[in-house]
Amino acid sequence: MIRHIAARLALIPVILFGVITLLFVIFKTIPGDEAALMAGATATQAEIDATRHQLGLDRPVLTQFTDRLLGLTHGDLGYSSTFRGNPLPRILERVPATLALTACAIGLTILVGIPAGAVAAALHDRWPDLAISSVVVAFLAVPNFFLGLMLIAAFSVELRWLPGFGFNGVLSLVMPSLALSARLIAVIARLTRGLMIEESRRNYVRTALAKGLSETRVLWKHVLRNALIPIITAIGLEAGYLLGGSVVVERLFAWPGIGDLLLNAVGVRDYSLVQGITILFVVGFLLINLLVEVLFVLANPRLRDA
Amino acid sequence: MINRRSLLAAAAASPIAFRAMAQSGAGGKTLTYGQSTAPLTLDPSHGSFSGYPAGYEAALCLYDRVLDFDAKMNIVPGIAESWTIAGDLMSATLKIRAGVKFHDGTACDADAVKFNLERLIDKQRTTTNRPLWDALATADVTDAHTVTIRLKTPFSQLPNSLAHGSAAMVSPAAVAKYGETGIAQNPIGAGPFRMVKFSPGQELLVEAFPDYWGGKPRTDQITFRYIAEAATRVSALRTGAVDVIDNVPVPLVAPLKSDPKIAVIAVPGLRPIGCVINLSRDKLKDVRVRQALNLAIPVETIAEKVFLGFARAPDSPLAFNTQGYHSVAKLKHDPAEAKALLAAAGFGPANKLSLTFNVPVGLFPNDVSVGEIVANALQQAGLDIQINKIEGAAYWETLRQDQANLKWDIAMFGFNPSNASGLYHLNSLFKSNADDAGKPDVWNVGRYRNAEVDALLTKANETAARAQQDALLGQAQDIIWKDAPYIWLQINENISAVRETVKDVEVWPIVFTNMRRAAG
Repeated sequence: MIRHIAARLALIPVILFGVITLLFVIFKTIPGDEAALMAGATATQAEIDATRHQLGLDRPVLTQFTDRLLGLTHGDLGYSSTFRGNPLPRILERVPATLALTACAIGLTILVGIPAGAVAAALHDRWPDLAISSVVVAFLAVPNFFLGLMLIAAFSVELRWLPGFGFNGVLSLVMPSLALSARLIAVIARLTRGLMIEESRRNYVRTALAKGLSETRVLWKHVLRNALIPIITAIGLEAGYLLGGSVVVERLFAWPGIGDLLLNAVGVRDYSLVQGITILFVVGFLLINLLVEVLFVLANPRLRDA
Repeated sequence: MINRRSLLAAAAASPIAFRAMAQSGAGGKTLTYGQSTAPLTLDPSHGSFSGYPAGYEAALCLYDRVLDFDAKMNIVPGIAESWTIAGDLMSATLKIRAGVKFHDGTACDADAVKFNLERLIDKQRTTTNRPLWDALATADVTDAHTVTIRLKTPFSQLPNSLAHGSAAMVSPAAVAKYGETGIAQNPIGAGPFRMVKFSPGQELLVEAFPDYWGGKPRTDQITFRYIAEAATRVSALRTGAVDVIDNVPVPLVAPLKSDPKIAVIAVPGLRPIGCVINLSRDKLKDVRVRQALNLAIPVETIAEKVFLGFARAPDSPLAFNTQGYHSVAKLKHDPAEAKALLAAAGFGPANKLSLTFNVPVGLFPNDVSVGEIVANALQQAGLDIQINKIEGAAYWETLRQDQANLKWDIAMFGFNPSNASGLYHLNSLFKSNADDAGKPDVWNVGRYRNAEVDALLTKANETAARAQQDALLGQAQDIIWKDAPYIWLQINENISAVRETVKDVEVWPIVFTNMRRAAG
């Protein structure tokens, strides 16, 4: 197990190297010149060239690339035209907001998605199941952007219960994390329902019921537990995509996270900022996947010694 | 453990908590301004205040400038209490106000003004706003309260440059202390507000500067809060979480107007949007073709249907409220005449005029929708239109290219004369380039060239009296309008909104929402 984790961790730098290389190639090929954007709209060619020289963008491409890599090894992301310097502190100061939002969204998924699916399975084809399934379909169909707008209109503008923007205490987390996790809640509820219905048709369930265990006990203790393994995997895989969704949700709720920063950075071709945030997203994605693998093993005793 | 009771309790408590949060400091007169963009850097030099326009809006509160604009963009005294310009327009004398202090306690005197002007003249430090400072040669202190500016060429727009946002006076001591890069995050000016806390890209908190020469500002604190999404800004204003917002999309104006607690401020802008015509293409050199392109566009429909009346079709190359504006002629929509003119120029069904049309995504108001309407209208007039939608960050470069690399026949463009001067506007867009083959000098990207216009503009540069200058600009506008180097489209209004308790928020025609004189 520990060897497995160590091997996975050792792979992260390799993947990162690939991502950084890819990013570098993309940035060198897409239209839009960072030096021209930074020198300003009315700069002369000589001034643009001077800016290019200052930024070191007139050096051979390979030198620029190795320079970027060397810089990264000691936390230097390079010169950000947005912040006029190494953007690392500006990125790091925004990480807590994005982490809080993502963690809350995953928490909501677990706390809402799994029980909703379980209830629907326990009472399947009866009205609570139909009600839950309808909400699930709605959550799957509505884009998080639109859901967020509706939430703001209802709970901020009309009812005045929740703040409509910004990261300012626990209440401000409610709407963004719901908007972010709605689709995932639906996916997990549907998966849980399906798995539990399938599981409850197995022989051991019949045996358990036959030996006199209560239906509730069998359902929650045995069926759900056995269904849990694929659910954990699904949450883990989807959680990575929450990071992507957070870009949209962060913009909508004026959330001071890294997603919104990324959108702006792309708009001004701020290479060092885009690179820094992408690295964070990639590392986050890989760590979540690793965590899922660990949980997977913990939830499945048969794999513990393997 | 969450149970029903605790949930209800939380729900019941939250409105109180929220209202308390929204109104915190209400007694201390704190105003919150929800901005569509966020301040990133606050140094007038080195790329100037970014992001645009948020950086400039913050700078209007933090910094005083040599001269100032009032809400109507008239030039009024600033740190210089008076100014005289020599008859030959080759020099100017500024009388610096006594007792002006920077936020760090140092004096904003003649030496400080000289220091700042030299910083703006220095091309290494100031590449943006270059046309505003190019004409200046030196700035010298003649006595403790007098600065003399010498110019390289006659420059009648000097007062406009001195009132422009980039003429913000920075504390020389602070530049020494924080360095040329550090000053961008530690703005020390002589404006009515000083910085308390700055998180670039998120939030800026400023408070009243007690030693401000112009007396205490009418509000104690202002928070500039970045809220990119328009619907979220509008919601925040309606709930009272913010007091002021900018950049209200036109469809959201009507619902806001119906709210008695909110006042909408819509001010016509100075930026005429149009499609610049690439005059280096032979097929576009015939003026009848360019007139036909203009006749084909339903400009009134664009103003009414796309912008719901919060835009007007121009009747001159300058926007209505620009200094020196002169009404030339109303635009006509006449597809039949357009076809006739095209036929006269040798284009028709057998020989279709085919044009490549570049449109940016998200740089100008509703640019893609307007671009599609224009393309359709031109197709109906019998043209073949290839429309290219180009991402904002890549757009400027496609526009400002060497002649050989111009990939478009027409391209959407709008220029905002940020010093309010029509002369600046016409000079930037219609003065002949030194070399049409190379990059355009400023924004004459279509390679317009008319010796008469050049002569009029040069004369206007050398003419100090406003009335005479305006007369020259009027003649230039007549000629340019007839030459039709653009397909003229619309001039949008800048729309901000405030809680009705907030007074004297100014929306400047050059886009900026100015909080400097606001009272809450």
